[in-house]
Amino acid sequence: MGQLLTTNVATNLYWFGRYLERIEAMLIEVQRSFDEIIDVDRDAGKKLYKKIWIDIDYTDSSDFLKVAILGDHNANLFDLMSYARENIIISRNQIDTEAFGAVIELHELFEKASKNSLIIDFRFIDKVLSLISEIWGKLTRKQTRNASDYFISLGKYVEKVDFHLRVDKDKDFALVLMDEIDKIVTRLAPNAKFQPHNVNEDVNTILNSINSKIYKIVAKDK
Amino acid sequence: MLENSGELNSRFWNIFSNQDRQKIDEFKKYMDKFAVNFNLYKDGNFIERSLPFDVIPRIISSKEFDILDRGLSQRIKALNSFLEDLYTDKKIVKEGIIPEEFIYQAKGYLKELVGFSPSKKVRTHINGIDLVKDTATDEWIILEDNLRVPSGASYPLSIRDTYRKIYPEFFEQLKIEPIKQYATYLREAMDYVNCGGINVVLTPGRFNSAYYEHSYLAKEIGAELVRAHELVVEEKKLFFKNYDGRLIRVGAVYRRLDDEFLDPEFFNPESLIGVPGIMSAYLAGNVALMNAPGNGVADDKGIYYFVPQMIKYYLNEEPILKNAPTYLPYFEKDREYVFENMHKLVIKDVAEAGGYGVMFGNNMSQLQLDDLKLIIQKDPRRFIAQELIEFYDEECLIKGEIVPRKADFRAYVVMAKEPKVWKCGLTRFAMEAGNYLVNSSQGGGFKDTWVMEIN
Repeated sequence: MGQLLTTNVATNLYWFGRYLERIEAMLIEVQRSFDEIIDVDRDAGKKLYKKIWIDIDYTDSSDFLKVAILGDHNANLFDLMSYARENIIISRNQIDTEAFGAVIELHELFEKASKNSLIIDFRFIDKVLSLISEIWGKLTRKQTRNASDYFISLGKYVEKVDFHLRVDKDKDFALVLMDEIDKIVTRLAPNAKFQPHNVNEDVNTILNSINSKIYKIVAKDK
Repeated sequence: MLENSGELNSRFWNIFSNQDRQKIDEFKKYMDKFAVNFNLYKDGNFIERSLPFDVIPRIISSKEFDILDRGLSQRIKALNSFLEDLYTDKKIVKEGIIPEEFIYQAKGYLKELVGFSPSKKVRTHINGIDLVKDTATDEWIILEDNLRVPSGASYPLSIRDTYRKIYPEFFEQLKIEPIKQYATYLREAMDYVNCGGINVVLTPGRFNSAYYEHSYLAKEIGAELVRAHELVVEEKKLFFKNYDGRLIRVGAVYRRLDDEFLDPEFFNPESLIGVPGIMSAYLAGNVALMNAPGNGVADDKGIYYFVPQMIKYYLNEEPILKNAPTYLPYFEKDREYVFENMHKLVIKDVAEAGGYGVMFGNNMSQLQLDDLKLIIQKDPRRFIAQELIEFYDEECLIKGEIVPRKADFRAYVVMAKEPKVWKCGLTRFAMEAGNYLVNSSQGGGFKDTWVMEIN
């Protein structure tokens, strides 16, 4: 019969994968920009966020980190982390216990930073990235994979494509990931008929296609 | 007065005195990290919080627990027989053991279910029995039976794992009963009554106070955790809606919501957390509901009074465990006694739970007592009165100091073919000195409970 999952849990696992990947990918970019802001290009942070259609302002490199984590914009990493925490709480019975604990711990780091009991600096970003790597590791340490793992992976890969297409406009890399996505989709919905991706499609078509994939896999949750 | 298990307590303290107390902080860290929560709504806000935990366990000797084991098994067998009889033959009523009107006025009695017998005639699958240990007699006294949706087992289960990691010395050097079999008991109970299909745990959802427990138990017993709209009834059969659109037959539901919310087509039409039609599947014998709807009548604090008679009536045995001395103002003789002695009695509203509706006569003014008397006179069936039992305190480590606190004990009995008493339980303690209310919803904390052998 395979692993059973409700649509609600499946979509929460998928979105958990997406949010965690988005936080990680964004932080890596933030680290790069932080380094540039110091003495290469003071506007590097603004340019980064412009790629995702967000205008930000900051006084210096340290302030840029705070704006990235807690700023009043919709790519605010603390908000994304709160969404990821909510996703994982809803689907906690399908998740590795240690990975679950690491997610709660990660959210707590952000929460402490938001209450000024932790300084947001380069060490904070390092600690967050290291915890994220730990979570991915814990999620993949099992020898077998089941539907819940594939939903998280699907979210992760879809976000990777989305992020790279938006930030780097790297279509070739996206196409490599699309092959992975197609494999996962086939595992999760072996009988569903999907139009395989086409290498000649433009960026926007690819984006629309991958972002709607999850809703083709799961039955509508009324 | 402090409870002291003599030799067993000394063994604990001998080991504990050599331990690094800094490590106690790890318990709180663990509970935060794994979101071992008991959520609350306060002033309209949803608050996620962990239950306060105390590191000093309650210790019960195996010999003493053996009496609990036999007494609780006996009680659950009798209560199951009572419920089955009440909803079918009604012999206990016909023979005048329990007054008819007493039953029919009980809030949890569901006349719509008369004549229906559930799968394998089991109704009391998962039971939480609240007890205290009387300082006057050194005996365990039963305070309440919870046969609807008793909660709390996941907290000692979770903390025991942590205890073993933080202080393995105790488990290496002492003979402490393992407790992991609770999940097996639950699984066996579900499988025993399963009417064909998968097992599910039905939760009201993520914002329920015990969502952690629902999720934890579902994972431990290998059942699917579902909300109402993830189930559907078709042709009087219950199905789980899989993400891919497949409908998977459900054979047993461990439901974590009260009867009135279970099915909007059968009970409260306003319920948004119930499964429309689930009662039709249940009444057709196509799915088992755990615990059985209608059990609330046995939870009624007024019916509690009659449990010793039930044991004699159904099992032809003397009760092994005693009730607290209880009076029913419904009976004229009892009412007179209650009115004369209200200042020293505990008066309980039969329809309330979780420590609500409990009034201590010795804490009330004359004016309040007079008011209560009028309310009782108007509706005597609504109240019971009990002698105040001086129950033992347990040692608690609060803010670095070892202090005595009132503590009760919720024992869990899981019934498949026969009842099984879990060799652990939830020891709840009051946070403030002198407070008798230990319920989690009243701010109480919990301890691990060790059933120990003298080796």
